[in-house]
Amino acid sequence: MEEHIKKVYVPMTETGFYILYCLQEPMHGYNIVQRVLELTDGEIRISPGTMYGSLSKMERDGIIAFVREEEKRKIYRITELGRQVLELEIRRIRRLYRTVEGIGLQEEPAAGIELRCAQP
Amino acid sequence: MSNTLTKIRMFTIADFKEEEQWLREMHRMGWKLFSMSPPCIFQFERCEPEDVVYQLDFRNRRDGDGSSYRQIFRDCGWEYVDSCLSFHYFRKPVTEMEGEEEIFSDNTSRAELLGRIWKCRMMPIFVIFFGCLLPQIHSSISGEVPLDAFFVLFCVLFFLYFRLIIHVGVKFYRMRRSLE
Repeated sequence: MEEHIKKVYVPMTETGFYILYCLQEPMHGYNIVQRVLELTDGEIRISPGTMYGSLSKMERDGIIAFVREEEKRKIYRITELGRQVLELEIRRIRRLYRTVEGIGLQEEPAAGIELRCAQP
Repeated sequence: MSNTLTKIRMFTIADFKEEEQWLREMHRMGWKLFSMSPPCIFQFERCEPEDVVYQLDFRNRRDGDGSSYRQIFRDCGWEYVDSCLSFHYFRKPVTEMEGEEEIFSDNTSRAELLGRIWKCRMMPIFVIFFGCLLPQIHSSISGEVPLDAFFVLFCVLFFLYFRLIIHVGVKFYRMRRSLE
């Protein structure tokens, strides 16, 4: 993977992550806005200016690709490079999650509980 | 009583937030924007007074004129009004919003907007200032060309550009800082 892609997308913004995550299925911008609202229980509403800009940038960087246009709406889908970026991000987020949950890298729940008790 | 109103009001490229606020106030007073012409001519038509949020995006012709660009705003409830010198005007009534809404929802995209305006509109100003005005004034002062009416004109232009650069520069700096 190119350095430029790593620098820009790892770590990714929350908006960027949700867009890339949704585009594992082909979707247009407004589909993504609605899907993210569902996924986050209404907490994250991606605005149209942000969505348009993110999709253009991601297409230019080759992590998503234009599929077709339907009624003036451009449909995109993740590319192979995009999948690699998403995989790196998911791995990073899992590590963060394990850290805050105190599970540890070996995924030993028992040790995690001890750790939390030791640091009230 | 006339149903349209033309107003001339100057906003620099760093004052688009003030411009949005002014358009919102005009709509609240029963005047909605329907056309915007260079350099700063606003045309309004009479309407029911309403609280409507106005927002400006900046994109060059290539991607700003695309219908898919306007469609995504329409889908999100933002009505496209007009475009002027790569600025695109959108509006949405407060009653149709879920809480506070803007056309940009994260600081990364807000900072990118500032970057686009700076690159496309501020760079030409710098080129005119450092490439034409400064050398012209320098050669007049050093006596290479005679002091005449052009010198006075260049001095006035120099002063205006200088003020503009300071105003825009300081404002952009502050806006960028507030996004960090």
